[in-house]
Amino acid sequence: MIADSSDLSTIFTPKSVAVIGASSSPEKLGFQILKNVRDAGFKGPIYPVNPKATTILDLRCYPSIGAVEGSPDLAVIIVPAHAVPATLAECGMKGVRGAIVISGGFAESGPEGEALQRQALDVARTHKMRMIGPNCQGVNNPYHGLCASWPLLTMQGAIAVVSQSGTVAAALMDWAAQEGIGVSGLVSMGNRADVDEADLVEHFDGDPQTRAIALYIEGVKNGPRFLAAARRARKPIVVLKPGRTEKGRQAAESHTKSLAGRDEVYQGAFRQFGICRAETLHELYDFSKALAYLQRPPGRRVLIVTSSGGCGVLAADVAAGEGLDVAPLPEAIASQLRASLPRHFVVNNPLDLTGDATAQMYKEVIAAAKGMFDTVAVIFGDPIVGASEVIDRNRPELVIFLGGAEVEREEGRLLHSRGVPVFPTPERGMRALAQLVRFGRPVERVR
Amino acid sequence: MIPIDLARHAGQHLLEPEALALVKEAGLTVIEHRTATSAEEAMAVADQLGYPVALKLVCREIVHKSDADGVQLDLRDAAAVGVAYRRVMEGAARHRPGTRIDGVLVCRMARPGVEVILGLTRDPQFGPALMFGLGGIFVELYRDIAFRLVPISEHDAMEMIREIKGFPVLMGARGRPARDLDALVRSLLILSALAESRQQIDALDLNPVILYEQGCVVVDAKVFLTSGEDRA
Repeated sequence: MIADSSDLSTIFTPKSVAVIGASSSPEKLGFQILKNVRDAGFKGPIYPVNPKATTILDLRCYPSIGAVEGSPDLAVIIVPAHAVPATLAECGMKGVRGAIVISGGFAESGPEGEALQRQALDVARTHKMRMIGPNCQGVNNPYHGLCASWPLLTMQGAIAVVSQSGTVAAALMDWAAQEGIGVSGLVSMGNRADVDEADLVEHFDGDPQTRAIALYIEGVKNGPRFLAAARRARKPIVVLKPGRTEKGRQAAESHTKSLAGRDEVYQGAFRQFGICRAETLHELYDFSKALAYLQRPPGRRVLIVTSSGGCGVLAADVAAGEGLDVAPLPEAIASQLRASLPRHFVVNNPLDLTGDATAQMYKEVIAAAKGMFDTVAVIFGDPIVGASEVIDRNRPELVIFLGGAEVEREEGRLLHSRGVPVFPTPERGMRALAQLVRFGRPVERVR
Repeated sequence: MIPIDLARHAGQHLLEPEALALVKEAGLTVIEHRTATSAEEAMAVADQLGYPVALKLVCREIVHKSDADGVQLDLRDAAAVGVAYRRVMEGAARHRPGTRIDGVLVCRMARPGVEVILGLTRDPQFGPALMFGLGGIFVELYRDIAFRLVPISEHDAMEMIREIKGFPVLMGARGRPARDLDALVRSLLILSALAESRQQIDALDLNPVILYEQGCVVVDAKVFLTSGEDRA
């Protein structure tokens, strides 16, 4: 909130990092975070600060931030809450310009903590320091080898994860890493004393690695600022915001100590400002994945090609419910395919290649339908070897893979390594496709 | 007409004639009405407006008029108006003994159409927001409502109308005629402009607005004002 978000650079791309409250006890966060900073491949100097140790993890340890040579760009702070304002002040005097305050015991814990948080923010502002947290799970920038967070995750990708909950952020990055698609950055915002979702939307919108922004918030910190940032953003923003029910709203307000406001008003604002809303954690992941890795189809017409009749039905049902158009196959193509494909295939939309489908048959069908639909939803519902070769990144195709066991995992890995997202169920795939039609980035010209 | 001085009533609600005048001044069509302060005057006004009419209590201390027998509908002649007038006065006295009563509002009964609700609320995070929904059970039972933040565009207005589940009702479901969506869009835009120009309005509730094949008419209006200190 101090200035434009460009000065978040000391937080995302610091040249050197101090870990204040580093610990030599492996069960402590002060140890875990230092270890992750070291092990994620950070290139610059790392300065553990702890007056009671001389080395931790083979790194020379400093008694105070003042004792460090030079001035680190970023301080990761894991000291007790009452010591945080003084620690920030020392950092400020040392010339540190970015701080990540992991420590809890602030606004979330009562009036005393609230006062401490205000004090911490005042100190940060006095020294023109940007601050993440307090009460947060840190920052991860895999493109800078910076994991000032936990768990240790390093996979690079195109989704930026911004979250009021540390676990939600970690889970998304973990799933993305598991699938081999990674993230472009992760921020657990915690209490958002300084840096909030508006700053981070702005930051990641300007970040060249990011293609979609996934946001978990229980309420916005500053409504108008957030909406202005969302309106300016050129990248799709997906928001998961609980609080549809009264219980949910109360839980959110007690978690964040802020007025959540009426969910229906959020809903309206999201629609008005072109923000994609997810209803579940899975949707937040799926929609972000689709929006980051696929381009917007020109229209709603979808051809479903499947090896599983059941999955074809599930897909068609969800597609229609989401306003997609499962249009009939044009007769010319249908008759051409009936002539060339085995007779028990159901040549229709969904187009059911049945359990003996091969990758070759998928290729044939997709080639025949070329240009007739805005998207081909390709469902691999069996262990189809070579499935990954069927898919062409440059064509509008949405891949769903299930019931394929080891073959599925191998082909899925190949697809993800080529930047093709794979969805695990027909419903999740079709819902993601519907968001892509509404919120996707327009097709880029081939260079 | 002199613009209504909202500052005078800061922190209060407007009397219904004031609320109707406010939205009429903004550009909405409101039900034909006049205020009367005696049974005789009410009967004379009803004769002029034409039957059937409704009587509504005008009292600054009673917002929810129906709780105090303060709304008498479908009165078909002068005698019925006279009886209803006394019932309204007795109801108010019972509900809030000693309260100051400013009279009754005599309104022409609107001819039947589709009842919708237009509203304005002030969200703690986002400021003034417009609300749209179908009247009656659609709002009460299903919370079938849509919001947009002020100011809205014509596109936003159309989207919020289409967004509600009951939208087919407006399009003429089950052989009924389609309703004047343009009039609805215009009304929402008028309220958006009103919210911007009259920042003292804390909440506004037009319930119902009756929507016809052509045009719409505001039948009931409630306006609550902010205490006033917090804005210029």
